[in-house]
Amino acid sequence: MEVNFNQPQRQSAIGVLVIFLEMIFVLVKNIWPIIVITLLKAEDKSVWIGLLIALAIMVYFGVYSFLKYRNFTFYIDADIDEFVINDGIINKTKTAIQLHKIQQVNIKQNFIQRLIGVYAMDVDTAGSDQKEGNIKAISHTLALALKSKLLENEGKAVIDQAEAEVAQAVQTKAPFLKINLVSLLKIGFTSNYVKSIGLILTFFFTIYENLHQAGAEDLVDTDRIKGLVDGYSLLYTMLVFVLMMFTVIFVINVVRTLIKFFDYTVTKQKGSLMLTYGLISTQSTILKPEKVQIVKVSENYFQRKLNVLEIKIRQAISDGKKDSKSLIEIPGCNTAERDEILKLLFHELPLKGVMMLPNFRRLIFSVFLIIILPLTAYFTLGKFVSPEVLEYQTGAWIYALLMATLLFFGYRNYRLFVADKHIIKQSGAWDVDQEIIQIDKIQAITTSQLFWHKSLNIGSLTMHTAGGNITFHLGQFDQINEYVNRWLYEIETSNSNWM
Amino acid sequence: MTEFSNEKIDTTQLPRYEAVPLTALHPNYWKELLVARGLLVLGLAIALVSALIFIEEFIDYRWIAATGFIVFVVLLLLITNITYKKKAYAFRTHDVIFRSGIIATNTMVIPYNRVQHVALHEGWIARFFGLAKIEIFTAGGMSSDLEIPGIAKEEAENIKQLLMGKIQKQL
Repeated sequence: MEVNFNQPQRQSAIGVLVIFLEMIFVLVKNIWPIIVITLLKAEDKSVWIGLLIALAIMVYFGVYSFLKYRNFTFYIDADIDEFVINDGIINKTKTAIQLHKIQQVNIKQNFIQRLIGVYAMDVDTAGSDQKEGNIKAISHTLALALKSKLLENEGKAVIDQAEAEVAQAVQTKAPFLKINLVSLLKIGFTSNYVKSIGLILTFFFTIYENLHQAGAEDLVDTDRIKGLVDGYSLLYTMLVFVLMMFTVIFVINVVRTLIKFFDYTVTKQKGSLMLTYGLISTQSTILKPEKVQIVKVSENYFQRKLNVLEIKIRQAISDGKKDSKSLIEIPGCNTAERDEILKLLFHELPLKGVMMLPNFRRLIFSVFLIIILPLTAYFTLGKFVSPEVLEYQTGAWIYALLMATLLFFGYRNYRLFVADKHIIKQSGAWDVDQEIIQIDKIQAITTSQLFWHKSLNIGSLTMHTAGGNITFHLGQFDQINEYVNRWLYEIETSNSNWM
Repeated sequence: MTEFSNEKIDTTQLPRYEAVPLTALHPNYWKELLVARGLLVLGLAIALVSALIFIEEFIDYRWIAATGFIVFVVLLLLITNITYKKKAYAFRTHDVIFRSGIIATNTMVIPYNRVQHVALHEGWIARFFGLAKIEIFTAGGMSSDLEIPGIAKEEAENIKQLLMGKIQKQL
């Protein structure tokens, strides 16, 4: 099927339904406590009123989504090489994206779109803050056709890629990497504890807040919970609570990882990588090796034993707000797969070159800042202001011990490896991260030295890339300077394309 | 992609960025800073005096407030002076070097072939003293952009032309 994208196009007709359902979904998500309360406490009359209101909203949404659908068109302006999207019922918006600025085209499917059988398409650019192209309902074949049209001129720009294309044509369809269920389970069990605790807390607070606002606290019987707690000893309750917490965290972690990354497939495509994943909504992202700025490989103790690790890839960004968008995660690959991916992204396996250690003052300073200072404040408060806080002394000591361990391991893992073409920074106490950058992707270099460190010959180094900064604190300063001079020489004598 | 050779470099023979003699900022920049800080101090002084006049209880603390104010002004002057003295720059054949900082000495180096665009900015106080600020932008976002203040207007114009020429050549 050959489609002429140079004429203004509408979305799939079924797109009306997608817009409609999405609006309802958002509405229900926002006011569900009110709905629940109304249903629980309602009399006959208010149910009728409620139904009438619901009907009115439905009609309004229906008309709105139809108009929205009618007024949404997109086309490629071949004369000026721009992708143009027209949107808006009363306030019209015309978004024009220059084709060569397009960095990523994502084809996605959320739950509603999956039900109906259409796809959403996002067009990402590198620079601007402006709203970017988002098509809500498009058939899969059309989406693929449009995607290749949008990314077409990129192929024209890089001529030597044509050869690579031919070479890869044979192996295009076979997935380059497929992450199986076992690896995903391993990752789910061993990572993101802190994030999950945060999620659980947010979840409970949201529910509580919603119930509180709706004046339905009586739905939760606090007395019964109290009675339950009183029945057993405090220690036992604590133990049960901690155990329950851990179980919930594990379950949430595993479920979250599975839903987000189910069927994670990486395929090679015209010299770039195509990533597809997701259980409920399928994400598909294109990753171009030349746009990769920072690759972060993380691994903790359990993951090392189970031979799984996570890779996070940062692409070029211009402003901090789009941080999350430029981050691509590859969960659960083993060391061999990691090497394959790194080889593909960097054209060779980045070696750990000359190792650079931080000065021991780094450890002392962080111990002072994180342990000694808060503890001093705590005991001063206990001694002179309110002695009752000292009852929790055990907690303070546990904190100190825990932090000391973390800081020590953090310091021991803190390393900078400098090779001919790559720099690897290793850091972290439990999750050990290795951030890898290519020297020719460096945009600028900053060195920094406190005046009392001058005679000690220690100082810090920051490498700025288009995907963020990498800083190494308190290294041997004359060595840092030597590296900086070498890197500057390499950057300034080569004409390599950094993006 | 063209494969580039990578012969062994004698790193001790490379030009050293840390040994480059840097150019200090124009003396008028100190005046510019003084005027800017002076306006800030003036604003604070007005606020303080009106507090003394209109809030009755405040009169009890007048000596503390006055001492605090004087200490603040002295500190501000001191810090401003250090900032002024620390800032220096140099334009080499292939990169620009800028040094700044109060407690720490930060030295930033941006190679010309990583510069995205260059801008010239004239604040209203700076214009009064015939100064301008050169802004150098890279793709590395906010943290790797560079602002060199306190350069005489014509010189800044020249530097901008120079940088533009360097960028053009790269393309």
